[in-house]
Amino acid sequence: MNLVTEQPEPNPLREGLSARAVPQPCTIVIFGATGDLTHRKLVPALYNLAADGDLPPAVVIVGFARRPKTDDEFRHDLEESTRQFSRQAVRDEIWKNFAQSIFYHQSEFGDESGYTALAKRLDEIDKNHGTRGNRLFYFAASPEQFEPILKNLKAAGLNQTCQGSWARVIVEKPFGTDLSSARELNRVIRNSFSEEQTYRIDHFLGKETAQNILVLRFANAIFAPLWNTHYIDQVQITAAETLGVGTRAGYYEDAGALRDMVQNHLLQLLCLTAMEPPTDLSADSIRDEKVKVVRSLRHWSRNEIAANVVRAQYSKGAINGEPVIGYRQEKNVNPDSQTDTFVALRLFIDDWRWADVPIYMRVGKRLPKSATEISIHFKKAPAVLFNKDLRDLNVLVIRIQPDEGISLRIHAKVPGTSFRIEPVKMDFHYGTSFGKPSPEAYERLLLDAMSGDATLFARRDEVEEAWDFIDPIEEAWHAKSDAPELFFYPAGSWGPEAADDLLARDGRAWRRL
Amino acid sequence: MPATAETYSLGLPIEISKIDQGLKKLWQESESTATRASLVNLAVYSEAADSLSKNTQLMAKITESHACRAIVIEADCKASENRVEAWISAHCHVSSVGSKQVCSEQISFLLKGACTTLLPSIVFSHLDSDLPFYVWWQEELREPVHPQLWAWVDRLIYDSQPWEDFREQMRLLESAEQEANQRIVLCDLNWTRLDSFRFALAQFFDHPASHHNLAKINHVRIDFAPDFRSTAVLFAGWLAAQLNWQSEKTEAANRLRFGNSSGGKIDVELRERTGEPIGEVAVETPQVEFLVTHASGDLLEVSRGKPGEKRMPQLMPAGKNDPVSLMSEELMRGGPHHVYLHAVDRVRDLL
Repeated sequence: MNLVTEQPEPNPLREGLSARAVPQPCTIVIFGATGDLTHRKLVPALYNLAADGDLPPAVVIVGFARRPKTDDEFRHDLEESTRQFSRQAVRDEIWKNFAQSIFYHQSEFGDESGYTALAKRLDEIDKNHGTRGNRLFYFAASPEQFEPILKNLKAAGLNQTCQGSWARVIVEKPFGTDLSSARELNRVIRNSFSEEQTYRIDHFLGKETAQNILVLRFANAIFAPLWNTHYIDQVQITAAETLGVGTRAGYYEDAGALRDMVQNHLLQLLCLTAMEPPTDLSADSIRDEKVKVVRSLRHWSRNEIAANVVRAQYSKGAINGEPVIGYRQEKNVNPDSQTDTFVALRLFIDDWRWADVPIYMRVGKRLPKSATEISIHFKKAPAVLFNKDLRDLNVLVIRIQPDEGISLRIHAKVPGTSFRIEPVKMDFHYGTSFGKPSPEAYERLLLDAMSGDATLFARRDEVEEAWDFIDPIEEAWHAKSDAPELFFYPAGSWGPEAADDLLARDGRAWRRL
Repeated sequence: MPATAETYSLGLPIEISKIDQGLKKLWQESESTATRASLVNLAVYSEAADSLSKNTQLMAKITESHACRAIVIEADCKASENRVEAWISAHCHVSSVGSKQVCSEQISFLLKGACTTLLPSIVFSHLDSDLPFYVWWQEELREPVHPQLWAWVDRLIYDSQPWEDFREQMRLLESAEQEANQRIVLCDLNWTRLDSFRFALAQFFDHPASHHNLAKINHVRIDFAPDFRSTAVLFAGWLAAQLNWQSEKTEAANRLRFGNSSGGKIDVELRERTGEPIGEVAVETPQVEFLVTHASGDLLEVSRGKPGEKRMPQLMPAGKNDPVSLMSEELMRGGPHHVYLHAVDRVRDLL
């Protein structure tokens, strides 16, 4: 997945040294530099890349935020958080060297003069640090700040580059809250940066197993003939977490599980699972196929939504034996909140490959365990010979997190004189087979953005098609009359009974995780 | 596990015919929640006395990051008696995710006598099926090579650094490769030793705007430690192969001369200095110097600039020169080593 659209003549000394596109020297400007994402994810990821020798030497980080701070204070704050959140221990000599390339730029997001000063500063950095005019703007600020930031970047000419250099923008989710706001956001971005310059980050796609879905499907001939409606009975995608809303109530109250997880992460996983083989491994070939999947999702009428989508909210219960409060009792949550913390969906992809194969999706907070998995349930073998009494299907499970890996359930004869048949599991664990820990998703994605590889980033049409599918559900839920019921489930359970009924009606059940 | 890691014993002595049963029993008796893992068959061959114990220690470390079935062989070809002894053991460690014990099996053999004929049969009967087969050959090769064995090998790992006669050894390797219908990937740990320096130097030229410097290189200096001249020459061979330099006649062993395609001359100065196998590489054009220096510990310092100008050095990982690190590095890689073979071709006569 490393084909790069802007790849110039290759460096002959690179031959055989790395199997991925080479990241270019650049300045990374982080908007929202004093926020959580910068401290917990972005800078630790960049430090790990530097420590592993994967970062080009000429990479400079400029934090852009409102709070007054000196370069040294900013470096000090980042050192503390990196020591806390980095996947590998911070080494003093590497940090010292890395920190020399970190700077702080104080400005209001809406203050045009702050961007003029930024442009000057970036020019100086190019001169002194060899960053060659390449700029990567990372939007780690809240979405309502995107427009002023983009407008001011354009006004300061920072969306333009001189010949041979580039400017790219990485946008964090949420990519809008519905189709019209997503379109508006895309319009605002497009006013300043072209689609080729825009990288919409979905950290699920940076996970090793998510990337491995394509390898599993298209590098193993055994699965290709089975991967269709003739052999697959159903697909289940589960994203469960034990955590509650925590400190995110402000955002979550408006978003809910459907917008927060399904519109982006889960639909992206579904696309990788269901897409046709791309013509090549370039970013657009893969994204062309992914968007076809979202476009082929069956849209429900308002009545059908109640029958195919279940929304619910956690009430008080217990997680791992510890009592926990209900969602409505959480801090900053409306006591009458109608926000969904759990969603279960029954979907269909109306294309040749997937006709009549139900896709069951569920996502929820305060569920009994944290796990994100995709399971492919194969059809039963003919009910003759050994298969007359078999209840279990062959199931291929792709574990996204935690304990990334793949397992396959098959039937085997229990040793003995009788013909007793039981399901057994063949299990592959990344952590067991490969001693080296996987890089964090943000490491991979930042490196890709520096290399100009957009494969693992969402394209405009993918985002808009996803909202086009999600919007009618949200509209039905928020209708003044006949809105589908909001169910409740005790924290620590697998959701409301209505979610089980969704499958029971089809004679199926959720996989036991 | 009854025979676990951290003790570097050879494990349980066992009759050759009962190795499979012994391994099965080893896992059945496991009281812990150990998981057996294996991605490759890795055979290690040595004729040094007491190498079984030394290589068992190495395998205990290597299997921490590369799960494999290890087949460790010590051969005493000069022994008058024909005898084979075997042991089985397991190297266990806690996996990077969770608290699961992950274990790799090791089968150890002590071969005495006609080992040339014994070796293939011993190895073939104890491979974990369907997994690639890597051989770490710790000896110099000699005739006759093992045609039967090479036909099965996917990657042949060796270290050319101590070789007395590079050309002869390469001839034998290439004949082994022919025996295997070019299937073997030749993996030289002396080449692996250069990875971090090659990587550090290459990154200077990633940006297209710096490509023009490659054609202007007129001087290269490589500092190497005593006994590591071959490592330095391989580095020069790499530059020559990748930049299309042709070797020209040289008068001193440590001054190599190459010509580039536009008629320019490149002097490569090899300087012996105590320290790391490669201590420093300076690549110069008339305008700029690209410098990679082994800084303290396991870090490289890279910088570019005009002579006398203030520089902004950056740090990069240096890699380590111990066998475990070199092997781990090598096992991480995949694919053929064409670049290595091109580099060897450019300097074969200088090694």
